[in-house]
Amino acid sequence: MKKPLILASVVLANGLLMNQLANAATVEFWTAQTQSDRLQTIELLASTFEALNDGVTVKVVGVDENEMATQMAAAVAAGTTPQLIEVNSEIIMSLGEEGIIDTKAHQGVVNTIGETRFHKGALTTLTSPSNEYYGLPYHGWIQGIWYRKDWFDEKGLAEPDSWENIEAAAKALTDKANNQYGILVGTKPDSYTEQVFTQLALSNNAAEFDAKGNLIFNSAETLETIEYYKELAKYNPPGPQNWRARDYYLQGKMAMFFYSTYIMDDLSLAEVAKGSLSSENFAELSGGTFDPNLVQNTAFAPIINHKSAASYGTLSGLVALKTKNSADSEATKDFIEFMYDPASYITFLHMAPGGMNPMLKGIAEDPAYLDDANGVFKLYGAEKMTQIVSGFDDIRSFSVVKGKTFPASGAIFAKSVIPRMIYDVTIEGKDPQKALDDAEAEMKTIIAQ
Amino acid sequence: MASSILIKNEARLGLKLVAPAIGIIGLLVIYPIFFNVYLSFFDVQLNGSKTFIGLDNYSDLLANPRYYHSIGVSIIYLLGTVIGTTVLGLAAAVLMNQEFHFRNIARGLILLPYFAPVISVVFGWQFIFDPVNGIYNHVVVDVLHLTDTRENLIGNPDSALFVVILFDIWKHFPIAYLLLLAKLQSVPKDLYEAAAIDGQNAWGRFWHVTLPELKFVIATVVLLRIIWNLNRFEDVYLLAPNVETLPIFTYYQAFAGIVDQGGAAAISVIQLLVLVGLIWLYVRKVLKW
Repeated sequence: MKKPLILASVVLANGLLMNQLANAATVEFWTAQTQSDRLQTIELLASTFEALNDGVTVKVVGVDENEMATQMAAAVAAGTTPQLIEVNSEIIMSLGEEGIIDTKAHQGVVNTIGETRFHKGALTTLTSPSNEYYGLPYHGWIQGIWYRKDWFDEKGLAEPDSWENIEAAAKALTDKANNQYGILVGTKPDSYTEQVFTQLALSNNAAEFDAKGNLIFNSAETLETIEYYKELAKYNPPGPQNWRARDYYLQGKMAMFFYSTYIMDDLSLAEVAKGSLSSENFAELSGGTFDPNLVQNTAFAPIINHKSAASYGTLSGLVALKTKNSADSEATKDFIEFMYDPASYITFLHMAPGGMNPMLKGIAEDPAYLDDANGVFKLYGAEKMTQIVSGFDDIRSFSVVKGKTFPASGAIFAKSVIPRMIYDVTIEGKDPQKALDDAEAEMKTIIAQ
Repeated sequence: MASSILIKNEARLGLKLVAPAIGIIGLLVIYPIFFNVYLSFFDVQLNGSKTFIGLDNYSDLLANPRYYHSIGVSIIYLLGTVIGTTVLGLAAAVLMNQEFHFRNIARGLILLPYFAPVISVVFGWQFIFDPVNGIYNHVVVDVLHLTDTRENLIGNPDSALFVVILFDIWKHFPIAYLLLLAKLQSVPKDLYEAAAIDGQNAWGRFWHVTLPELKFVIATVVLLRIIWNLNRFEDVYLLAPNVETLPIFTYYQAFAGIVDQGGAAAISVIQLLVLVGLIWLYVRKVLKW
């Protein structure tokens, strides 16, 4: 009884030893996708890569996004830096200043894939002042205006992609007496309001900081945006609103609303439910019939033009970190390229259809991409998907100015300074210039702390 | 001699018996109050480091217009809710003290709003007042045609305060009713009979018998309602976070974004002083206890 056991252990130990010797390279991959089903998918991708590349081990570790910065600091201090991480752009930019990122590996990947294949705005978001790539954009969501194409066509309205078009459509499609509203912009003092405002402000070239880090929020551009925002809010459903009011759109009571690509799931679920939710089953419901063709009748305007074109969203990227072992570094670069390979890339993105959007051109049109398990993309079709992700060409934000991140912008965000300013103007009727002055004063206090 | 030893021993035993209670109160009530007063003189960082800044927290607070605004809101809220719950509670108690069929069921039903969980009834109210789909606007605009414009009564800062007051009255009048009914049932019948013989009508009997008998219970209800509602947070915040009563103002000051513990401590110190002052004034001057 004992002998076979010893034999087995020896064989096993040998096997492990051999394995370790053969495994010349290791890629430790920290991902911010910590849900177990997503981790399983990523493990599967890692195993596939291992099978294709003899002697490479990929170790997948889930790290909560909020703890990524702390964990990285600890790992760097302990000399156990992972080879690769996947995390949001704010953290990537803050790590960029620490000199631990393998920008050469990124350059190599960009050269292999081709710079023009990336969505331009996405790549710029992760570019340093000296034109190095702090990270490689991998997936992201964008915000834009989702609108009733059928109603626009009926009234002969132009696509809501500019300030003039948005306002004209909001006005034309508001009929308060019949409980119909033209648009939804955030007016509650919360982050949704900030997101909507940011996109409009960026399209008017307003900013929180200039490239030198000076606070330039109190400007004519910002004031114009606030006044325009106040105009739009007139066509909102009554009272302070936030993203929850998107339900009015699903009920056919609203013509346009600002939302991220995460809505795609909801819209298509409505489509799925149409069999039981048609209006003849609920004839007694007043105020709106359920529209079984909502997805077909919905179009998306991701870019808003005024003084410049702006889209708003956030993205996550892959970051290769400096390592002493050149074999590890080479394997990491291979693994990144593998992750951008359409087959593995699409597997990854399908973990959250609509929420995680591709950063490479061409993926959105790929038939395999459009064939997700829940059938979300089938409802939208290739053309609409291409249009949706084209928003990443012009993606911008307040916190990144020419590759420099401003942590104060995060603190301002956390104190809800901008959304409270908007609430004061749109709901409390405060004078826009006065509200702007007060917001600026508050920002100064926050920066001083 | 022997008796003084006895007294001493008894006092010692007494001290021992109340010691646990004093200890717990000291730990959970006295210590936090003093620590709070102490914190109010510091600029407190999240990592625990403190810088002494004297009365800066207080002067910042007293220079903040939002603070005075929230005091005004709190006063209206207190007046509305305390008067509303007491009057409605009294009316319900007098009504429920009459004999009629199904009285026991009715007595039980009145208590329901008080027992229902805050979060679920708040959602219920929000659905009722939803500007687009709510039953309130449906009835007022579509059915009765009283007005053409749909109102967001909860969202609109001008009306939100009154919705919040209404909500509090509806939710909390049963406790006033409960206390008052208990006392009403113990008022001797012959007092009413005597008043009737003296020629008092129903109103006279209420004014000359019921009210004087209820005086102290009403006073207790008012006192409790003031204490509770000066510190009331969850109902207001959940229903209409834009109604900035003092506790809500404190919350925004202390917990939204960068935590300002020193500033928030200063607010609560002032609030404590006001509350203590109010109660003292009320008990000594109004009730003459």
